[in-house]
Amino acid sequence: MRHTKFALALLSAAVLSACGGGSSEPGDQTLKTKFTQEVAFGDSLSDVGTYQVGTVAALKGGKFNINGDNTAVNPTLTGKNWTELMATQLGLPAACAAYTGLDGDAKQGFSVPVTQHAGCYIYAQGGSRVSNPVGIGNKLTGSPLGALTVPVATQIQNHLTLSGGKFSGTELVLVMAGANDVFVNLTQLSTAGTAAGTAAFGQTLVGLLAAGSSNPQTAAVAIGTALQTESARAGSTIDTVVGAAVGAAAQAGYPNITSPAVYGPLVAQAQAAGQKAGADYAAANGPKLVATMAGVANELVALVKTQIIGKGANYVVVNNMPDIGTTPFAGKQSASTVALVNAMVGAFNDTLAAGLANEPKVVYVDAFAASHDQATNPAPYGLTNVKDTACDLSLAKNPLASSLACNGSNVIPGDISHYSFADEVHPTPFVQLLLARYVSKYMVQKGWL
Amino acid sequence: MNQGFKHSAALLAASVALALAGNASAQSAGQFTAKVGIGRITPKVDSGDVSAPALPGSKVAVEEDTKPVLIFAYGVTDNFSTELALGVPYKHNLNGAGAIEGTGKLGTVQSLPPSLFAQYRFFTPDTMVRPFVGLGATYAYFRKETGSGQLTSILNTGGPGTTFHIKNKVAPTLQAGVAVNINPKWFVDLTVTKTYLKTTTYYSTGQTQDVKLDPVGLVLAVGYKF
Repeated sequence: MRHTKFALALLSAAVLSACGGGSSEPGDQTLKTKFTQEVAFGDSLSDVGTYQVGTVAALKGGKFNINGDNTAVNPTLTGKNWTELMATQLGLPAACAAYTGLDGDAKQGFSVPVTQHAGCYIYAQGGSRVSNPVGIGNKLTGSPLGALTVPVATQIQNHLTLSGGKFSGTELVLVMAGANDVFVNLTQLSTAGTAAGTAAFGQTLVGLLAAGSSNPQTAAVAIGTALQTESARAGSTIDTVVGAAVGAAAQAGYPNITSPAVYGPLVAQAQAAGQKAGADYAAANGPKLVATMAGVANELVALVKTQIIGKGANYVVVNNMPDIGTTPFAGKQSASTVALVNAMVGAFNDTLAAGLANEPKVVYVDAFAASHDQATNPAPYGLTNVKDTACDLSLAKNPLASSLACNGSNVIPGDISHYSFADEVHPTPFVQLLLARYVSKYMVQKGWL
Repeated sequence: MNQGFKHSAALLAASVALALAGNASAQSAGQFTAKVGIGRITPKVDSGDVSAPALPGSKVAVEEDTKPVLIFAYGVTDNFSTELALGVPYKHNLNGAGAIEGTGKLGTVQSLPPSLFAQYRFFTPDTMVRPFVGLGATYAYFRKETGSGQLTSILNTGGPGTTFHIKNKVAPTLQAGVAVNINPKWFVDLTVTKTYLKTTTYYSTGQTQDVKLDPVGLVLAVGYKF
């Protein structure tokens, strides 16, 4: 019986211990590497407010996001991007823009002196390209905004200049760039293609009109001059240009040419020739852009190797280019343009991956895979809309027609908390969190976090 | 927690009743035994995905653990017995798996699997080697679920430290073993158990994860007959 009592005492103790304490705890939040800084090079996807000055600031904008803390509306609407979230996770001071300013139209409040901010290491700027200084929104493109678009190559040099020519080796370096090289090259192709199409249209129309005139040779000169003059006039349209050419043909003796039934088929024929010429130009020159993007990726590889790692950095995260082919921007493009975009992005990413493959100090993050999967398989990510923009981009609501001036007061009605896109190419804060988590996953796997 | 306590209290009351009834002198009807040993729990995990918003295919792997156990049995007849298995909490490492394979330890949890079995023991009480089989219930009680900086980084970068809670469950358990009588008072035995346990993890981010744990238990123990 004595043994039994002893056993019962043990049993009671065991049962009591089973009932003691059941609390869940966050545990040790210390990460494996104690980073001293977070330095970021890149574009709008990483920019934390380079242009949050002048009129942009007055519009309550500044980041390419849904600006401002709108967590009272929904917890996802933090207004933060991945570089900010990472800095917080690393226990570092809040990420801030290394430079602020705008170089645009003073009358519109877009001319603000460039200021360097001590202790701020996010060099990424909206519109920036890898090495070409003229990016999206740069004043040399004719944009009144005057985005600084300091290219990544110069961003790195600026950091080196400010930090004694080297990286400390204990900072985390974040690199994400290249998308603006796609956009600028596409725009240039489109502009040149349109020009080729317009030229072919004019030539064809002049030729057809001259052929029916009493003296085709002199008529061609007169009609061509009329067409060019009207085309060069500010405010001319396709209709006024056609009108000028038809008028010149009538003077040159083309019977009944002012009748739409007579000139209409000729215009249609010229338009078909113009469209074909534009398409031919794109088809002939588009593939060159694929090679161009591979070259841009090689530039970025060289920068990472020689100017970042070569200057002492030990921890470099390089995100590849997200999927542009599934953005709202791409949704408005022709199938052949989307195919070209996909080829450009693919060439860039393949070259980047190959160039950094054997670099132990680099974590290569396949942001393309995640963004593509988000667009095609949104549910597990918690995304409710991957096609429309959360921001109302009408000029009445958003004078910049960009997420740069998007905030809680000019998003579209309804619940946009789990939308993918703020504007046609930029993600919402929710997708920025998804990116931060995705990058963190790679860093934990690497043993850095 | 309350439910857990009530359950344990019921087991305790049952044991008291059994102890008062028992006063026999052989491993037979009315006999009470106690044994101590080493238990190893190896979860055979079939993890569900962490729910949205998550990287699709984010799964968990649960490492095994070994801890001392304390087991009481009472012979209802010469062949039928009941057994109550207790022990100190097992501590399991929770590792990323699936799409987050390679992230290593993301958290830990302590588990207490008190189990109550009805057993059938083959042969007669004086047989030296007595195999046995059992059918029982395990109360899988999880506590001290502890996250990490890595877990927070992956689930809510830059947010408050992520916590999680695993739902306690009663689960059916099968048992098979063999006892070897060293002398009339002492014996050693080896027991294998299989528990069919499916539970759910709740993260402080609002995400959930269904996990089939189906642990296999292995106990090597030395016992004494009162």
